[in-house]
Amino acid sequence: MKLVVALAAALLLAALPLLTTSNYIMGVGISALIFTVAAAALNLIYGYTGLLSFAQLAFWGIGGYATALTVVTFGGTFWWGLVWAALINAVVALVVGYPTLRTNRHAFVIVTLTFSLLATLIARDWVDLTRGALGIPNLPRPTAFGFEFGTTGRFYWVAWAFSVAMLAFLYALCTSRIGRTLIAIKQNEPLVRAQGISPMPYKLASFALSAAITGAAGGVYCFHLGIIDPLFLDFYYMQTFLIIVIIGGTGSFWGVVVAGVALSALPEVLRFSADFRMIIYGLILVVAMFVMPSGVAGWLRERRRGRRRGGAQ
Amino acid sequence: MTVDAVYLLQLTLNGITLGLLYALIAVGLSLIFGVMEIINFAHGELLMLGAFAMVFALPVMGLLYWPAMAVAILATMFAGLLIYDVLLARLKTDEFERSILITLGLSIIIIHTMQYIFTATPRLVDTQYGFDGVDIGSIRITWTRVIGAGAALVAFGGLYAVLRYTQFGRAMRAIAQNREAALMVGIRPRVVARNAVVLAAGLCGLAGAAISPIQLVTPYMGQFLIFKAFALVIIGGLGNIPGAIVAAVALGLIENWIGGFFEIAWQEAAVFVIMIVVLFLRPDGLFKRGGMRVG
Repeated sequence: MKLVVALAAALLLAALPLLTTSNYIMGVGISALIFTVAAAALNLIYGYTGLLSFAQLAFWGIGGYATALTVVTFGGTFWWGLVWAALINAVVALVVGYPTLRTNRHAFVIVTLTFSLLATLIARDWVDLTRGALGIPNLPRPTAFGFEFGTTGRFYWVAWAFSVAMLAFLYALCTSRIGRTLIAIKQNEPLVRAQGISPMPYKLASFALSAAITGAAGGVYCFHLGIIDPLFLDFYYMQTFLIIVIIGGTGSFWGVVVAGVALSALPEVLRFSADFRMIIYGLILVVAMFVMPSGVAGWLRERRRGRRRGGAQ
Repeated sequence: MTVDAVYLLQLTLNGITLGLLYALIAVGLSLIFGVMEIINFAHGELLMLGAFAMVFALPVMGLLYWPAMAVAILATMFAGLLIYDVLLARLKTDEFERSILITLGLSIIIIHTMQYIFTATPRLVDTQYGFDGVDIGSIRITWTRVIGAGAALVAFGGLYAVLRYTQFGRAMRAIAQNREAALMVGIRPRVVARNAVVLAAGLCGLAGAAISPIQLVTPYMGQFLIFKAFALVIIGGLGNIPGAIVAAVALGLIENWIGGFFEIAWQEAAVFVIMIVVLFLRPDGLFKRGGMRVG
């Protein structure tokens, strides 16, 4: 049932460029699709495996820069850029993740956070590679088999195809035996060990996968923007991903997907000043953590459970 | 490359000053972690509030350094009390991720409210000392740096005395070492936690006040410093106060040396590389944690 609804929604979203000619609406659509993928990747590592990773921001930025540099500096194609973005991020995630995951989840949170802030500084200060604060403007639109995805409407298909593929992959992963193992690691790691499963490869793999997917998402998004500069590593993105996951419900695949599409429209609705919008985001985060720590999905689950219990009496 | 001795000494002295100020921030984080097992993400914003308090107090006080610093410390202690009572008091001890997310939200609110009200324009702080300094041979250090370093040293001495010899400090150490046993002898964790947060906020306010004449004051200054403080807390061992101080001074030195001879990107990356290497070699930090030690 859920899959049928999801398929219908995906096809409906695919038809968006046919329904509207407004570049603005299609731009919002691209953001919604890409942010949903990045949030779903964060959900894999935080919601399923239970490791709060702030490195998603760094992966997002590294992915963006890797894709842009592949095209502009090394003369590759956009598609190879995405592959490089995913590969580099997976390797970086393994290098950062292995020493950190050996300690405890507290250290993991802090190291990933430091890593993201470091990535911002590197993007700004390593001028030879990233061109510093000026960034890399005029990123060309991708082409495939001689067809140029030149307009926002055509680029929307790229973003759509990418998001559907990634979400389908994540769904398959999260509902498989691996997904159940990840949830088990989150809920009771000693029990997982007692079952003869070593948690480390699972944690590392889910960190690397979520890094690779976030990186590729960053690559697609920076080509939508047409420019990449250190602002691409603004904490705003990390916050958006976090809020989507928390409001949607950590560890709930569909909750996060629905929240991703819904909340990406929020900044467009909240078109006050940038500061005011961030203040509202901060307030949402604080209030959500107190009022519904398990998100809308968790809240609905509680209610359903409560009703069932009520019916039994 | 020929190494100029005077240049090296200058870098070293600047490094120690900077390191002591890092240490003030890292010690507060460590103290809060030791007592509550949470990380206060908004700690850097307390520092920023301290610096802003200095910006506004100085002209009122006729540029007098010490009274303005006292105002800054009191202001941040009050902010710390408010943060504890409104937000942190609602947390349980094992809610580490939740504490981070809540204080992250708070930090965003504070940064952007400050930016909304006071704009992002960097502010220069002028004190009674201006840009005068002491000359040692051909090396010159401004008074504000000397005083900042001195104030940090006095604060560490005071902190040591408080944690070691007062009931107030002993209760904090007791909670950090063994929560159940501390409860059994009648120590109230909430009161101790509030004291720890207020004390840490005061140290952070001191750091903010001391740093404001040295660096430009902007709403974002806390974020750049806090990420180093987080790394220092990991390098020194979570909850280990002397470890954090040693790591902080060492980092200040290393950063200044690297910054003096290499590109700036390396200076920023140093802290992260050190942290990863330390985690590889000693997962519990350079100075293994065994409760909260003061000596």
